[in-house]
Amino acid sequence: MFPADELVVDARHLSRRFGSFVAVRDVSLQVRRGEIFGVLGPNGAGKSTALRMLCGVLDPTGGQAIVVGHDVARQPERVKAKIGYMTQSFSLYADLTVAENIRFYASLYGLEGATRRRRIDVVMHQSELAPRAGQLAAELSGGWKQRLALACATIHAPPLLFLDEPTAGVDPLSRREFWERIHELAAAGTTIVVTTHYMDEAERCHRLAFIFRGEVFDSGRPGDIVERAGLAIAEFEVDDVEQATALLQSLPGVEECAHYGHVLRLAVHGGPDVLAGARDHLARAGLAVRDARQARATVEDAFVAMVRRERRA
Amino acid sequence: MRRLLAISLKELRQLRRDRLTLAMMISMPVSELLLLGYAINTDIRHIETVVLDRDRSAASRRLIVQMRATGYYDVVGAVENYHDIARALRSGRATVGVVVPAAFASDLERRRPTRVQLIVDGSDPQIVGTAIDTATGLAAARSAELAAPGVTRSRTRPAPAPLSFEPIIMYNPDQRTAVYIVPGLIGVLLTMTMVMLTAMALTRERERGTLEALIVSPASRLEIVVGKIAPYIAIGYLQMTLILLAGWWFFDVPTAGSLPLLYTVAALFIAAHLALGLLFSTVAQTQQQAMQMSFFFLLPNILITGFVFPFESMPLPVQHLAQALPLTHFLRVARRILLKGAHLEDMNYEVAWLAGIVAVFIASAAFRFKKKLL
Repeated sequence: MFPADELVVDARHLSRRFGSFVAVRDVSLQVRRGEIFGVLGPNGAGKSTALRMLCGVLDPTGGQAIVVGHDVARQPERVKAKIGYMTQSFSLYADLTVAENIRFYASLYGLEGATRRRRIDVVMHQSELAPRAGQLAAELSGGWKQRLALACATIHAPPLLFLDEPTAGVDPLSRREFWERIHELAAAGTTIVVTTHYMDEAERCHRLAFIFRGEVFDSGRPGDIVERAGLAIAEFEVDDVEQATALLQSLPGVEECAHYGHVLRLAVHGGPDVLAGARDHLARAGLAVRDARQARATVEDAFVAMVRRERRA
Repeated sequence: MRRLLAISLKELRQLRRDRLTLAMMISMPVSELLLLGYAINTDIRHIETVVLDRDRSAASRRLIVQMRATGYYDVVGAVENYHDIARALRSGRATVGVVVPAAFASDLERRRPTRVQLIVDGSDPQIVGTAIDTATGLAAARSAELAAPGVTRSRTRPAPAPLSFEPIIMYNPDQRTAVYIVPGLIGVLLTMTMVMLTAMALTRERERGTLEALIVSPASRLEIVVGKIAPYIAIGYLQMTLILLAGWWFFDVPTAGSLPLLYTVAALFIAAHLALGLLFSTVAQTQQQAMQMSFFFLLPNILITGFVFPFESMPLPVQHLAQALPLTHFLRVARRILLKGAHLEDMNYEVAWLAGIVAVFIASAAFRFKKKLL
C-alpha cells in the first residue's frame, strides 16, 4: 500500500490548546512504513493528546498531520478506518467472550464475508487465543487480555497501529512476548506508534521521540539519543552507599547517582576523566570502592537527565 | 477507636470530593419534603366541570352558581349535548359534566322531585368521591331550603327530596384502583428503567475504557449513541407490553382505545427518557452516580405527576413544575387511551408537550455529548 520509505505519519507543527493551556506545542513527527516509533515522556507531557490528534479523535488547534495518507482534521473517518488503537485499559468487554469481542471489533471495522472469517481466523491463530474462544474476557489473566486487545486492535489489518502504554500492568514474560509480536507486525509492514514508560521497551523501538511539556525534546534512533545526551556511566560497588551518594552528588559534572542495592550507578557529563575523578574523591574520603566498571548509557539515563536538566532550567 | 475514626474521616473526605452525591444528599431532604408536602393533599378542589343546561332558567343558573361557590367545581364551559360532555371527559378538558333537565325550574316550582345528572370521569377514584359527595351535600342543603317554608312533612314517610343528583360514573364504573394505577405504572416503570439503563450503559463504557475504542473506530457518534440505546427502546416496549398483559390478566384493566396509538405516543415518551439518560451520562462520572441521578429524577415523577396523588389537588406552582416531566403527559395519554378510548385529537395538548420535551432533551444531550464524550 505504501512505498517502503513513505511517511505513514507526517505531523508538522501540531499544536493543541485547551483554553489557555497548551497541551501540545509545535510537535513535528515523521514515521515511516514498518517502523516502530516510540513516544516517551512523563505523565501529563502531552503524549495522549498528541496521539488523539493523530487518531483523528481530537482536532488540532494548529499545524497539520497527514496520517495514512489523509489529513486528520479534514478526513478523520478515513484515518479511523485505517488505524488500529490499543489502550492501557485494553478496551475489552469483560462480559463478552474472547470470540465475541473479536467478532464485535470485526463488525465495528466493517469486515464482511470471507475477509471477516479469514481475519478472525488469522488473529485467533496469531494470538493463540483459539482454545480460549469461549472464555469470558473477564476470566483472562493480564497477559491474555493483552493478546486479546491486540487481536481486536489488528482485526482489520490496519497499516498503522497506535499502542498507548500497551504493557502497563503486564508481567515481564508477557511483555516480552508482546514485543516479539509487535516486531513481527512491523516486519510484515505495519507501522507502529507506541507510548511507554518502560525504558527497556523504548530501546526496542526503531526510533523515539521525547515529549516533555507538550514539546518534542529530541527524536531519533535510541542510540543516537543516548549519544547526544553525552553521558558516561560507571557502576561502583561500595559498602556505604548512602555516604558515597552524599559525597558524589555535589561533584561537578555528576548528573545522577542511583542505588541498585550495593551498587551505585553514576551518570556524569564529561566522559571517563570525571569518572576517575569521582573514584579518587571517594578514596580520599576513605570509602572503599570494591569494584568499579564502565557501563553503557541507556535511554533511561538520557531521559532522566533530559527531564532533570529541563526542570532545573 | 483511632482506626475507626480514621476510616470515618477518610469516608467524609471522599464524600466531600464527590460533589454530585453531596449535592444530592443535601438537596434531597428539602426537595422531597416540599414535593411530598404539596403532593399529599387529598382535599381535591377545582374539579373541571362542563354544564349542559337544558332549562336555561334563573333556577338552573342559580344551581350552577351554587355548585361553583362550593369551591369544588370549576365550570370551564357550557356544552350543547351529551356528545360534547363525552368528548370533554375523554380529552380531560373536564372531569365532571352536569346535566340540568329541561323542566328543572318548573319541577322545583311544583315541588316535583327533579334529578340533575352528574356525569363523572371515574378513571381517578379519588376524584369521583369528592365530586359526588359535594353534589349530594349541595342537593341536601337546597332540598331543605326548598322544603322549609310552609310545607309540613309526613311523619311516617318523608317526602322524596325535591332536588337530587344522579351520579353516572364513566370509564371506571366499579371504581377499581388497579384500573387507575396500571396505565400509570407503565409510565413510571419506563421512566425508571429508560433513564437508568441509558445513563448506566454509557458511563459503564466510559468507566471501563471501552468508549475510547468506540470513538477511535470508524463508527460515527450517531452510530455509537443510537446503536447503544436502540436495544433499550425494545426493552421499553417489552416492559410496556408485559404490564398491559398482566394488568389485563390479573386486574381486568380495559383497553378501550387504540393500542397502536398508545405505542406510537410511547415512542415520544421513551425518546425523552433516553435523551435524559444520555444527558445524565455526560454528567455522571461513574455508574453509581448515574444510578443516583436516575433515582433523584424518579421521585418527583412518582409524587407530582398524578401517578398516585391527584394532579388537581396540587398547588398551581407544583402543577406547572410537573408540566416539564414527560410522565405527567404520558400518564394522561395512557389513561385516556386505555380507559376512555381517546383519539389523538383528544390529546393534542399532551402530545405537543411531549414532543417539545423530547426536542429540548435531545438538543441538550447532543450539545453536552459533543463536548463530553471523551
